[in-house]
Amino acid sequence: MSTKPKDGTDIAAGLLFMAIAAFFGWQGLGLEMGTSTRMGPGYFPMVLSGLLFLLGAVILVRAFGRPDDEPFGRVAWRGIAFILPAPIFFGLTVRGLGFVPALFITTLIAAQASLRMRPLPALILAVVVTILSTLIFSYGLGLPFRRFGPWLPL
Amino acid sequence: MTLSKLMAGLFAATILTAPAFAQGYPERQITMVVPFSAGGPTDTVARLVAERMSADLGQQIVVQNVGGAGGTLGAGQVAKAEPDGYTVLLHHIGMATSATLYRNLAYDTLNAFEYVGLVTEVPMVVTARADFEPADFPAFVDYVKANADSLTLANAGIGAASHLCGMLLMQALEAPLVTVPYKGTGPAMTDLLGGQVDIMCDQTTNTTQQIKAGTIKAYAVTTPERLPLFPDLPTAAESGFEAMQFGIWHGIYTPKGTAPEVNQRLSQSLQKALADEGVAKAMADLGTAPSSAQDATPEALKAKLEAEIARWKPVIEAAGVYAD
Amino acid sequence: MDLLSNLAMGFGVASSLANLAFCLIGVLLGTLIGVLPGIGATATIAMLLPITFQLEPVSSLIMLAGIYYGAQYGGSTTAILINMPGESSSAVTAIDGYQMARQGRAGTALAVAALGSFFAGSVATFLVAIFAPPLTAIALQFGAAEYFSLMVMGLVMSVALAHGSVLKALAMVVLGLLLGMVGTDVYTGAPRFTMGMTQFADGLNFVAVAVGVFGIAEILRNLEDEHDRQVMTKNITRLFPSREEFRQMIGPVLRGTGVGSVLGILPGGGAILAAFASYTVEKKLSKHPEEFGKGALAGVAGPESANNAGAQTSFIPLLTLGIPANPVMALMIGAMIIQGIVPGPNVVSEQPQLFWGIIASMWIGNLMLVVLNLPLIGLWVKLLTVPYFVLFPIIMAMCSIGVYSVNSNPYDLFAVAFFGLLGYVMSKLRCEPAPLLLGFVLGPLLEENLRRAMILSRGDPTTFVTRPISAGLLVLSLAILVLVFLPQIRKRRDEVFTESDA
Repeated sequence: MSTKPKDGTDIAAGLLFMAIAAFFGWQGLGLEMGTSTRMGPGYFPMVLSGLLFLLGAVILVRAFGRPDDEPFGRVAWRGIAFILPAPIFFGLTVRGLGFVPALFITTLIAAQASLRMRPLPALILAVVVTILSTLIFSYGLGLPFRRFGPWLPL
Repeated sequence: MTLSKLMAGLFAATILTAPAFAQGYPERQITMVVPFSAGGPTDTVARLVAERMSADLGQQIVVQNVGGAGGTLGAGQVAKAEPDGYTVLLHHIGMATSATLYRNLAYDTLNAFEYVGLVTEVPMVVTARADFEPADFPAFVDYVKANADSLTLANAGIGAASHLCGMLLMQALEAPLVTVPYKGTGPAMTDLLGGQVDIMCDQTTNTTQQIKAGTIKAYAVTTPERLPLFPDLPTAAESGFEAMQFGIWHGIYTPKGTAPEVNQRLSQSLQKALADEGVAKAMADLGTAPSSAQDATPEALKAKLEAEIARWKPVIEAAGVYAD
Repeated sequence: MDLLSNLAMGFGVASSLANLAFCLIGVLLGTLIGVLPGIGATATIAMLLPITFQLEPVSSLIMLAGIYYGAQYGGSTTAILINMPGESSSAVTAIDGYQMARQGRAGTALAVAALGSFFAGSVATFLVAIFAPPLTAIALQFGAAEYFSLMVMGLVMSVALAHGSVLKALAMVVLGLLLGMVGTDVYTGAPRFTMGMTQFADGLNFVAVAVGVFGIAEILRNLEDEHDRQVMTKNITRLFPSREEFRQMIGPVLRGTGVGSVLGILPGGGAILAAFASYTVEKKLSKHPEEFGKGALAGVAGPESANNAGAQTSFIPLLTLGIPANPVMALMIGAMIIQGIVPGPNVVSEQPQLFWGIIASMWIGNLMLVVLNLPLIGLWVKLLTVPYFVLFPIIMAMCSIGVYSVNSNPYDLFAVAFFGLLGYVMSKLRCEPAPLLLGFVLGPLLEENLRRAMILSRGDPTTFVTRPISAGLLVLSLAILVLVFLPQIRKRRDEVFTESDA
């Protein structure tokens, strides 16, 4: 088995598609199928889930007997750890902390994703971004965000 | 009428003697949450009154659109907001219907809000495609009853004005039409114009221009009296359908616990905005009219909401359609 | 001639000093806000809409139209420079535009986009002026069955978006369709795949999905190996297209304009197909289809033209029927109503000044965009010299604001993070995001129209072939399918033969 060529990337892709299809299929179980005249909410998703599962399976099968032509490469763990939480943090705090502090910290978090960003430049960047955005969006365009939210003792 | 004017005067008098808190209010910008996306009919109503109210209050009212889930997301946000008078909600009839349409609402409709007042009530018109056979409303009733299972009724999605009116129409006529839901009024109206569907009952906001252009046919209005806009159009009640009396009413709410003085101040400001000629004209263009001074009060809105929840509960339960 | 005098009146209205100024301000603001990453045309217009309320009706709508074009153009700029499309249409531009930028041809890509858009915009403006009423009559012939068949055609074309494995592209389309199902079912009100979160009752936010699978995934890819990341600006040769490149773009621009104009007229959302359709056409006609996805000029010129032509002609249903073809047009209707103009079929006859004024200002706005943007290209390209580790925190901040500003829904931001991760994993598995996005856009339309067509036909599936327009579209889809798969099958046979030879 191990001597035979196989495309590891496509195996993973096929399995992922099948897993997603299974998840949607499972979630859609509780939905009514209806009739073909009046299709229920579950009809179309179920057809799609089946189709996706099938496509995933074909991708999986065809991955065997063919070499992986491109290396998988590194994974941006640091990027995942800091980039993805940034919008989540903004969403969680923009109402409570207010626009200004939420944006400041969001920028600061995102800046940590790069090894080349030193603490001081990161701080300066966050300050500049926050000031400019507040001027543009809050004062300039009058977006209905609270600049400082109720969580702050102001 | 004179009595109501007197009442309004009395309200104004009580406000003048209100405690210092209300005198100072508002000290900063007020956010008016509209639980629908920008540019829609509710948003339009909100921006109309917000502009005039801002002038009276001396502080800017900014409209914030918190769309989603038939208006329940925006309403839920205001329900949880601080009751300081700086977050208000402008919502329509959906405030009452979602109490039944959504079986697990994040807030208790009757106990999560304070009331400012009614803003406007938009009438509905029963319309059909331009080449629909019946000539007038009585003929329409007979025709629809006779051909119920082959006629289609469009609506703009569950909880939409056209959906509510459609339910009432089917119950009043005892005619189970084939309902065809759409995502929003735009596509539903397009298909009505193109003759792909037969009947739709929708707000004057959406139908007036099409009726005037003759691209769709109007049969009846749902108001107690005929509309000045369409003096030849009978009311549904004239043909004996008393139950088909309703409009898409809009009200302004504040979170539970907001000081009565603040609500009164907002209500007073709302009454002023509604008395404005520009507002009246803009609303007339949409086929509606500003609520009267006695309707633009906390008491009137509270009574309206309670009555409407009670009214729609059996209608929705009978139709067996829920939005959750 | 009636048309000429009407157009003259329109230009008279639009070229008053005040209206020219509002048009310019609109175009400028639209470009500047739209160019911010993660802020597409819808978000830009929602942000800038209140500014226009204070103006006279004609001025207000002229400014709004200017904002719309500006935002669209700004959105294409971000799609090309940092692979971050804010609209479904610029997702197509991102495919080849971003690759061009990586090759140091960002200036060329931007210039081609600007010129193509201008040409398409000018032509489409005249189409609007001349054909608005008759075209509307045709558009009304489109019912649920026709839209379903049109969407099927869109899906078939989506496969051409992929430059790798067709199978994986198909799987991504289906995944996109499934993601499009998330939210409340239009027909029954049943929540689907929302995991009990009412915040997703109206479905996943398009901008969140697009920013996630394109932009965030790209940032993560760039962060994989910071030390030997190529600097995009080091091999910039020139900012403007060469004569040869000008010649190359003529065909795609003309075809894109045609495709976009036709699709834009359909009120049920034909315009979203415009860019995708044009890409498919160009890839099929090209002598070098293998260049597509790796920086093909035609892959930018065609879709950008189609996109702008579609944007222009989608004003037709708005102005002649009073019905919005897309969310942006819905915002325009809101603006009209606030101005005391209720849009409807009578706008043309009752408000000729307004109607023709807007049409004329469309053209003027497009001209301004070109004049404004060609000199700006140098500036945009300069932006690429900003070190990446400085750029991406700014991108994250802007897209957080942009996504949140549309509906004030924090869950949209959570979706950004989720789809960023999904997009990154998918790109590691060599699955491309564009087909997913097309599936996501088409999914709800496909399902809605299928179900509606079945209701309207009382469950008779032959409705799709007995209605002539629908049947024609299905035949066309079949033809495209054959065109797409034939080369693949032939290639496979060749492979088999070579293998057996060996």
